[in-house]
Amino acid sequence: MKNMFKSIGNYFKEFGTAVVKGDIGVKLSLLVMGAGYIARKQIINGLIMIALEVVFAVMCVLYAAPNLAKFGTLGTVQFEQVFDPLTMTSTVNDYDNSFLILLNSIIALFIILAFILVYIGNIKAVYRLQLRKEAGKHINTFGEDLKALKNEKFHITLMTLPCLGIILMNIIPILVLIAVAFTNYDQQHMPPSALFTWVGWRNFKQLFTNSTTVTFGYSFGKILVWTLEWAFFATFTTFIGGILMAQFVNSKKTKLPKLWRTLFMVAIAVPQFVTLLLVRNFFGDSGIVNTICSNIGLTSFLKSIGLVSSHLTYIPFLTSPGWTKVMIVLINIWVGVPYQMLIATGVLMNIPVDQLESAKIDGANKFQIFWKITMPYILFIMGPSLITDFVKNINNFNVIYLLTQDVYVTSDQLLANSNAKEVDLLVTWLFRLTNEYYNYKIASVIGILVFIICAAFTLVTFTQMIKGNREEDFQ
Amino acid sequence: MKKTVDFIVRHVVLVFLAIVWLIPIVWLVVTSFSGYRGINTAHFFPESWSMDNYKALFLEPDSVVQYGAWFKNTLIIAIFTCIISTIFVLMVSYTMSCMRFKGRKALMSFGIILNMFPGVLSMIAVYFVMKSIGLTNSHLGMIIVYSAASGLGYLITKGFMDTISVSLREAARIEGASEATIFLRIIIPLSQPIIVYTVINSFLVPWGDFVLAKLMLNSGISTDWTIAIGLYNMLNKSLVNKYFSIFCAGGVIVSIPISILFVLMQKFYVEGVTGGSVKG
Amino acid sequence: MKKKVLATLLATSLVAACLAGCGNTNADSGNTPADNAAPSTDAAADNTSADNTAADNTAADNTAAADTSDAVATLIANTTDTVKLTVWASEEDQELTTKLLDDFKAEYSDITFDITLGSESESTAKDTILTDVEAAADVFAFADDQINELVQAGALQEVLANYTLDVKSENVAGSVEAASVNGKLYAYPMTADNGYFMFYDSSVFTEEDVQSLEKMLEVAEAAGKKVAMDIANGWYLYAFFEGAGYELSLNDDGSNTCTWNGSGATDVAQAIMDACATGTLVQMTDEQQATAITEGTVAAAVNGTWRAETAESAWGENYAASKLPTINVAGKDCQMSSYSGCKLIGVNPHSANVGWAMLLAEYLTNEDSQVARFEARGLGPANIAASNSDKVQANPAIAALAEQAAYATPQRVGGNFWAPAETLGQILANGNPDGTDLQTLLDTAVEGITAPVE
Repeated sequence: MKNMFKSIGNYFKEFGTAVVKGDIGVKLSLLVMGAGYIARKQIINGLIMIALEVVFAVMCVLYAAPNLAKFGTLGTVQFEQVFDPLTMTSTVNDYDNSFLILLNSIIALFIILAFILVYIGNIKAVYRLQLRKEAGKHINTFGEDLKALKNEKFHITLMTLPCLGIILMNIIPILVLIAVAFTNYDQQHMPPSALFTWVGWRNFKQLFTNSTTVTFGYSFGKILVWTLEWAFFATFTTFIGGILMAQFVNSKKTKLPKLWRTLFMVAIAVPQFVTLLLVRNFFGDSGIVNTICSNIGLTSFLKSIGLVSSHLTYIPFLTSPGWTKVMIVLINIWVGVPYQMLIATGVLMNIPVDQLESAKIDGANKFQIFWKITMPYILFIMGPSLITDFVKNINNFNVIYLLTQDVYVTSDQLLANSNAKEVDLLVTWLFRLTNEYYNYKIASVIGILVFIICAAFTLVTFTQMIKGNREEDFQ
Repeated sequence: MKKTVDFIVRHVVLVFLAIVWLIPIVWLVVTSFSGYRGINTAHFFPESWSMDNYKALFLEPDSVVQYGAWFKNTLIIAIFTCIISTIFVLMVSYTMSCMRFKGRKALMSFGIILNMFPGVLSMIAVYFVMKSIGLTNSHLGMIIVYSAASGLGYLITKGFMDTISVSLREAARIEGASEATIFLRIIIPLSQPIIVYTVINSFLVPWGDFVLAKLMLNSGISTDWTIAIGLYNMLNKSLVNKYFSIFCAGGVIVSIPISILFVLMQKFYVEGVTGGSVKG
Repeated sequence: MKKKVLATLLATSLVAACLAGCGNTNADSGNTPADNAAPSTDAAADNTSADNTAADNTAADNTAAADTSDAVATLIANTTDTVKLTVWASEEDQELTTKLLDDFKAEYSDITFDITLGSESESTAKDTILTDVEAAADVFAFADDQINELVQAGALQEVLANYTLDVKSENVAGSVEAASVNGKLYAYPMTADNGYFMFYDSSVFTEEDVQSLEKMLEVAEAAGKKVAMDIANGWYLYAFFEGAGYELSLNDDGSNTCTWNGSGATDVAQAIMDACATGTLVQMTDEQQATAITEGTVAAAVNGTWRAETAESAWGENYAASKLPTINVAGKDCQMSSYSGCKLIGVNPHSANVGWAMLLAEYLTNEDSQVARFEARGLGPANIAASNSDKVQANPAIAALAEQAAYATPQRVGGNFWAPAETLGQILANGNPDGTDLQTLLDTAVEGITAPVE
């Protein structure tokens, strides 16, 4: 943290020095960006900078200014359309679209920020050129500058495109949705026909206050608990399952290990959404499994021991809360274990053989070897991926959504009143809030909270691990 | 004696596990050959067998089933997504693993944290970004959506590159090779397993995604869809009773190229993922 | 002779009204010309239909006809570019719509059309449209339960004038009501059979049996069959409460008014639970019913025309349909109510060619198209002339819907109704497993249903 502030401080200090100590070329660059380069005979660099400045100025006037002017209110002109029955044409007024204003403003702010960084960098660069000149050092030609992009500045070449992509498709959407959490963007205020505007922290307050009619707070608590439970069980069951399966299949005593491995791999080859939708019908209330279970008498047996309530004629695999939660975890094992097995197979191949041998000589039995040597080794290697898996499971949309959407009906009325279900994860809940109820404001608040939970968890665990024994990888 | 018992028990367990894992797949396959169109809930194996579902997939396209078109669309999107994503991931991984510059660590942590924002939420904003550049309902748009942010998935590849010995790079540098040459001539050939891993993973994305695809390809024209949207649509309440077994046939067909890919690349895949997660 | 004078008088007065209307339009076209123009064109349209029935040719109908056809003629004259339109129809409707689109193109052969037909299920049209109204089709089909949300989101062009048909007088009143919000017409009725009724296997039940639910359950139990209904679905659950006289209605702000927790409402809940407790009335979703009907476990179901086909093929000659039965609530037989439903065609106000979109919507819902739709898919027409044909009348499902119509109401309910009602239905169908006090159960449900709109 301290370092960060220090480097930010330095950053501006250097800029200040450059401005104060710069000669006329540097000072002129404050106004005309390429001036400093041209003064050092780097004509092409200078022209590029001037062109950049012009483009930026045009962008500001045509794009940023009109959008940012409305950023404070997110638009005031309501959509109005008038249809003339005699000419059968309609005229639409010049209306404001709150969402587009928000989106474009954020993009514009991004461009402005990027420009400021380039601007400061430019001043510093021309000041460095001045220093070099004064010291009598060589000043790069344009060709040499280009060459540097293949060498010491190669990271710039490599990172430009991927970063642009990430900014456009990831960062900007995230910023927009974070902003939406502070607006009243919902079904009553949906662009283009209606406007929405800023409401401050109201949505956050709403999520944390319970009233009789609005039960978001209640639902959030319940769903958060289940989300964490799910992430825990889903991560560890597949992890341990994968290792056990890998051990079992790859053991020397198993005939044809490759055949078995391929058999389990078949389950991966079918795309997840196909298998999950298939399994949903497989375990449906009147699905094939229920038919078989009632034919062999399992249904009535489960009824007699009270696992299935007496009025049902089927096993509610995916329709009662308890059964569904267990089934989801089991089905997730089915889906996830082959992957983990594949990874564990690779890890087990690299296990240091000498340790195993010496343990055997010392008379340790199989289980001792497994728990004392194999497991710690695997944990050491797969620890970080365990953490990422946990976070992925918190956001595991597919499994829950595909298995329960349209099938599961909640029997908790308070959850129903906020459009949630017992088996929802935070992500599936927020997806349904946006997709079916257009409640973007609450969904955004939930999204931000999910993000905070995941980020906090990862930062804590990762720093623990980095401190432990992988310092050298991260320097 | 003890050994034979052990042997038998071990293989019985394996057979049992294999059955558990294969039953749904078997059901998928047999249902796809069923003569009955809806969900057959009374019998595991269909009462009448036929190839009708496959015929319907390829020979009798209607607005619900445009399998040939979907397959083509998905394949095109998948190939380009896979090329761009792989290149992006390699570029970012190399930068993070082999180069040293100011702000590298901050960038890395930032990348990890960015990944944690629930994607389903920001989809709507992605949609409007794409709409404002006029790329919704186009395959180019889908390719961009799938591959643009792929650089964020650098972690495992970076881990793999960390394991490549530094001395190799240093030797090359002494001989006057540029960073670009080191990247293209030394690191990439040595990263073969992880490249395969990245290729497979990014290739699979368009085959499995239906949420984002459904949002982006919203013209309602079914020939524009990808396989995932098309198959998901068949299970729509009003259609499931007519199209369930066709859905199964579609599921079987879509698995074939993926299975082949997996079987061919299995060795690299294992090496890549384990190499990468060793140093995560 | 007398008749002719009368007609002329009538016509003249209409012309006057029309002219007055037109004058009005021109006078303050600046503000809301649309609102003012409405009566004028309505009058004109009325006029056209009036003179269709009266064979006399008067000067009046020439003016009137000229008025509407002028608009179309102007539109044709003003259209120079290719007219691009997107149409969404359900998957099942593709073949027919393709044909109708070709006919439409032939009708206006002077114009170059570029019409794309997409598929979007009527029941989920809203979800796709609301995500981005501007990207939605110019002309789309949807079920009438979505009309409020669509109007609120500005996704429907108000039908201010008719050109080739008169929506209000040519379609049955119920369907026009279903296509209107607050008295304003927003869509074109396409079918009038989207509500629910009951169909049954007449080899199990007699016509008398199906009058009351209690009798039906008795008979079914004796025959080892089930009666299916999707109780865990607000749409069907409504039948019980509305039938017993409890209210559910939509407020102007999109929230609901609901009295399902009123005094004595617990008796309704108890009646549902009792019926389900017999194990003969079973909670089944539409898809499950399809399978169960085919397999022969279900001998009667409360469902709609979309499922009637399945029953017809499973039961053959024994397939019969009727209104919903009565249910005994606290000793009193209450006729179960229902939602009537229509499929409508709407025009997107964001369309670049609103005029052509409206003409196309009119074309897709005119008498001939509705007849064609009935003949191709057995869908009950909303058009009065079409629905009076013998063939339509002979269709058991449509006859049953007509019988049920006396107890049916158009669906006007806000989005907050569905989730709480679904859960309430689920709890009741499961026999209230937690043993919650019934009044509390209803109170909580009503709280959710009547919650302010977010």
